[in-house]
Amino acid sequence: MREVTATVLENIRIAEDTYSLTFACGEEIPVRAGQFCMVGVHGYPLRRPIAVCKAEGERITVCYRLKGGGTRTLAGSYKAGEKLSVLLPLGNGFSVKEEEKRVAVVGGGAGVFPLIAAIRRYAPEKELFAYMGFRNRASVCMEYEMRRGKKLVLCTDDGSVGYKGSSVQAFMEDIGEVKPSVVLACGPLPMLRALKSAAGGRLPVYVSLEERMGCGVGACLVCVCNKTDGAHARVCKDGPVFEIGEVEL
Amino acid sequence: MADMRVTLCGVELKNPVIPASGTFGFGREYDEIYDISRLGGVATKGLTLLPRLGNPTPRIAESHGVILNAVGLQNPGVEHFIEHDLAWLKGKTRVIANVAGSTLAEYGEICARLEGLVDFIELNISCPNVKCGGMTFGVKPESIREVTAVAKKNCPRTPLIVKLSPNVESIPANARAAEEGGADCISLVNTFTGLAIDIERRRPILFNNTGGVSGAGIKPIAVRMVYEAAKAVKLPIVGMGGITSAEDAVEFLMAGATAVQVGTANFTDTRASLAIAEGLNDWCDRHLVSRVSELTGTLKLN
Repeated sequence: MREVTATVLENIRIAEDTYSLTFACGEEIPVRAGQFCMVGVHGYPLRRPIAVCKAEGERITVCYRLKGGGTRTLAGSYKAGEKLSVLLPLGNGFSVKEEEKRVAVVGGGAGVFPLIAAIRRYAPEKELFAYMGFRNRASVCMEYEMRRGKKLVLCTDDGSVGYKGSSVQAFMEDIGEVKPSVVLACGPLPMLRALKSAAGGRLPVYVSLEERMGCGVGACLVCVCNKTDGAHARVCKDGPVFEIGEVEL
Repeated sequence: MADMRVTLCGVELKNPVIPASGTFGFGREYDEIYDISRLGGVATKGLTLLPRLGNPTPRIAESHGVILNAVGLQNPGVEHFIEHDLAWLKGKTRVIANVAGSTLAEYGEICARLEGLVDFIELNISCPNVKCGGMTFGVKPESIREVTAVAKKNCPRTPLIVKLSPNVESIPANARAAEEGGADCISLVNTFTGLAIDIERRRPILFNNTGGVSGAGIKPIAVRMVYEAAKAVKLPIVGMGGITSAEDAVEFLMAGATAVQVGTANFTDTRASLAIAEGLNDWCDRHLVSRVSELTGTLKLN
């Protein structure tokens, strides 16, 4: 984990309310798929936790949705050349076992972005099947990154692109044929709950969780989630990736 | 290079900068980023006799220049701290064990357990986020005097810092009550009770509804309260509330603090506590201040 003053290389709109931010860290920082960073935004006391999409040497790309003042300032004020304070890499990330040869990724909304890192990591060596959900045509982005696997099913809530319905529905229609050995998922809670009830317990399913964070490094105990054994886990440090049966959604 | 050492209740700190309770865990996470032995001390996450799970999430929200938190004293319990973290932390820097209880007896018991093991005990009688304990003891002078006396009776050899709430009628009256109860030092301010609303949902952002407000926006109020406390008692003061720079820390020292705590700024800038300690040294050098302790209480009113 390091705190770096990065230089913005590109910060562009890639879909409705969605931006792609690439910055140079000044040094190569190894980032595992599913890890995230905390980005400082001038004028805001809290950093923004954002999943890493791509890590190529010292260049890191993250994608974020406009949610409030912080992300709007990030989109509006950080042009190429600007300095950016970033804390990374954070969290555990995804880890697919050697024997798990068939990987399904199921994402929805902003949850597709950490899964792009997983696709980039595992598509070259696994049979990878992607089910990616968006609100509508205007919110679809980074399709070329999602196509790196064996199969991509794009899903939209309104059917304007691809499958009409959620990525979980699309995945469950395919599960018998695809026979995944592991599932990696990220998205809104209702989506993850649907996935848990449909596939949890049948095969290993790893979910990446989102929570409002304070420090991002495991010290402040702000971003906890409930574990099924009654304990609390820190999303930033013990997660953000958990086995779906291990956490309450 | 100014002399950055300060003496608090007879205990020497290598500099007057201490990360505040609840923002720094037991120091391990931040020690991955910089060597925390360069800090004057560490105020631990609030400890209770038994482990606590705390409040449901969301536990944090943000507003202009401030944050709100309602963690609800999640902690692994004092025994876990003593077994797993204390020796490590003591090897790094001064340990200020922040403690809370639900009853007077619990305050006594946890102080007795830590007696002689830590450099300071900081009595949290001002947590705004738990129903029992915390704030119940921290509002009225009579109950502050009583809980302080019980705590001090159980830790006669360990310097006792009483952490005051700002959500009260009179800071001077409460500071004096802590002094009368046997406190060795006073720290302030804890957080201000606040409410942040998600207007789309017409609901509070925090699950707990209200939370403690901290961060740069509270600083002038905190400085005023530190000044009032310093005038009211003879005890040394640890000042905090919105410190994000060395210059902010200087304000607290001038208002009467011997040492300062840095909380929310650790979230904004992971290295904030260290940067403030180093910046304080630079400030002293630039202003020909040979010992940082000379700054304490030097404010002159107009």
